[in-house]
Amino acid sequence: MNLIDIYIQEVTRRLPKKSRDDIALELRSTIEDMLPENYAEKEVKEVLKNLGNPASLASEYSDRPMYLIGPRYFDTYMTLLKIVLPIVAILAFFVIIMENINTYSGEEDIVNGIINVIILILGHVIWGMISAAMETFFWITLVFAILERKDSSRSKSPLTPSWTEWTPDDLKSIPLITKEKKISTGDIFGSLLWIAIFISVYFNAGHLLGVYEKVQGKIELITPTFNQEVLHSYWLIVIVALIIEIAFVFYKLILRQWTSKLAIMNTVRNIVSTLVFIIVISNDQLINENIISI
Amino acid sequence: MEKLLSSLITELRRGTLTLAVLSQLRTPQYGYSLVQLLEKSSVFIEQSTLYPLLRRLEKQELVESSWDTSESRPRKYYVVSEYGIEILEQLKAEWEKSTKELENLLKGDVENEPD
Repeated sequence: MNLIDIYIQEVTRRLPKKSRDDIALELRSTIEDMLPENYAEKEVKEVLKNLGNPASLASEYSDRPMYLIGPRYFDTYMTLLKIVLPIVAILAFFVIIMENINTYSGEEDIVNGIINVIILILGHVIWGMISAAMETFFWITLVFAILERKDSSRSKSPLTPSWTEWTPDDLKSIPLITKEKKISTGDIFGSLLWIAIFISVYFNAGHLLGVYEKVQGKIELITPTFNQEVLHSYWLIVIVALIIEIAFVFYKLILRQWTSKLAIMNTVRNIVSTLVFIIVISNDQLINENIISI
Repeated sequence: MEKLLSSLITELRRGTLTLAVLSQLRTPQYGYSLVQLLEKSSVFIEQSTLYPLLRRLEKQELVESSWDTSESRPRKYYVVSEYGIEILEQLKAEWEKSTKELENLLKGDVENEPD
């Protein structure tokens, strides 16, 4: 008797509240129908074995999906994740680099100092990228899990970008990516790495680049090449140029292939960064006077 | 191989379940009596599939149900609805058509077999 109660409980607790009582009653009468007059535990077990695992019986009863994201949404979900996760990770990468950029005080031994700063920033960056990606993953998954449960259409066919049923016309909006036009992951990574190095060096040039001398067994920066104050005074246009650079990388990341629009953007990006470079370099206060006198 | 075969057989039979069940519900049946009725014609359906199937058919308005509390133990009786009979007739016609088609296919299969 006891086993039957537990079995019914194990089935019904997985079901929506409103259908529980009815199913419990029906299940009990069915189980009793299957048992002989004076039954022993052995016979009960036999009957319950016939009915199978309570979880799978409940899933047969339930209309709700027993999975998080089903065939209808899975493709859209994966496509979105593949676009959004790298973007979030890269954004986190830059935000953390910018946050930690001034960690180096310039007081320590330069070699140890730089190594320490790199290790420190790298730690922050890796942790930050992982946690940003995890959080994004969580929210996207949650939204799709809810969509899956709220979708009243019974259709199992994957969604198209226009949220309608697929037709051959949908193919017209998709470009054919040829090998020559394809943008490699290495290309994108290279651009990002270059931007990160540039940011780190530009805003720290005052205590990174210059003439080093060995003083009392320690290597120290004696004369910086650049006047950091002059570099800093151009922060606005430098940031604008950097934002354009980063936006361009994101655009490449999404398109994954060269188009004429992308090529035009590339030209604009080059003109902007060249202009900024010329503006900064043409300042005659940029190079430290002491360097020139050496 | 046996595992694969049995899963293929289950898949093959799954589609016919609705037809088999609806055909036996012209007279009211409760869960276990339906099982016995089907087994008499050597149609064996997993009980864990059958009972939820009955509820689904009820939700789709193909069968109607009523509780009978006059006996010692309350039983839920299911009987095919008018709409269900309509569907049953069409399913039956479809089934007969496809068995004939498949029969022809399989006959061809034997003839095409290499010597």
